[in-house]
Amino acid sequence: MLILSRKTGESIVIAGNIRVTVVRLDGETVKIGVEAPASVPVHRQEVYEEIQRSNQQAATQPTAALPKLSPPKT
Amino acid sequence: METPAAAADNRIRLPAGILGFEQIKDYMLLANPAEMPFAWLRPAEGASLAFVVINPFFVMPGYAPDIPETDVEFLGLKEPNDALLFSIVTLRGPNRATLNLKGPLVVNRHTHIGKQVIIANAGNYSVEHPLPVAAAV
Repeated sequence: MLILSRKTGESIVIAGNIRVTVVRLDGETVKIGVEAPASVPVHRQEVYEEIQRSNQQAATQPTAALPKLSPPKT
Repeated sequence: METPAAAADNRIRLPAGILGFEQIKDYMLLANPAEMPFAWLRPAEGASLAFVVINPFFVMPGYAPDIPETDVEFLGLKEPNDALLFSIVTLRGPNRATLNLKGPLVVNRHTHIGKQVIIANAGNYSVEHPLPVAAAV
């Protein structure tokens, strides 16, 4: 992993079109600003992992029995 | 306006796959009236694997996913009506099932191209939203 030291307000540039800036330090929390083209999705890693894990749990056999749902509330 | 041929086509292409299953890109959406409101998403070929999906609005009428502009463009959605939404269901036993409201499948109903979208307001929703399963008799 490439590790760079940055001060508040300093940035790194990735691939010429993505800029990551250290906006603020607040105790253990670092506020990071990401400027990227609209075609580059940016998400917190936890959300990715959460959805990936959920998908892996959801993958089932085509013969799985489906539950009966309670009637939707009106 | 959809052509009858397009309407009968139940194939869905997910160019980016489903997170964790990126290698599978072609799926079929199979709906059996007896199993409504559930439907099945199955790989068009190969893998003996399936996902149970449901229209999230059926479970949560007030669901308001914020689809990132990137994804709207990628899917070529011109108006909200162009999109079909499915949430992936996890079966957790005979009386328990949950649905993923953070990462719905958004499908362009005209092109049948879709994507598992991480909604911008994912923080408001759960990946394990409980389904109102009827008590077993």
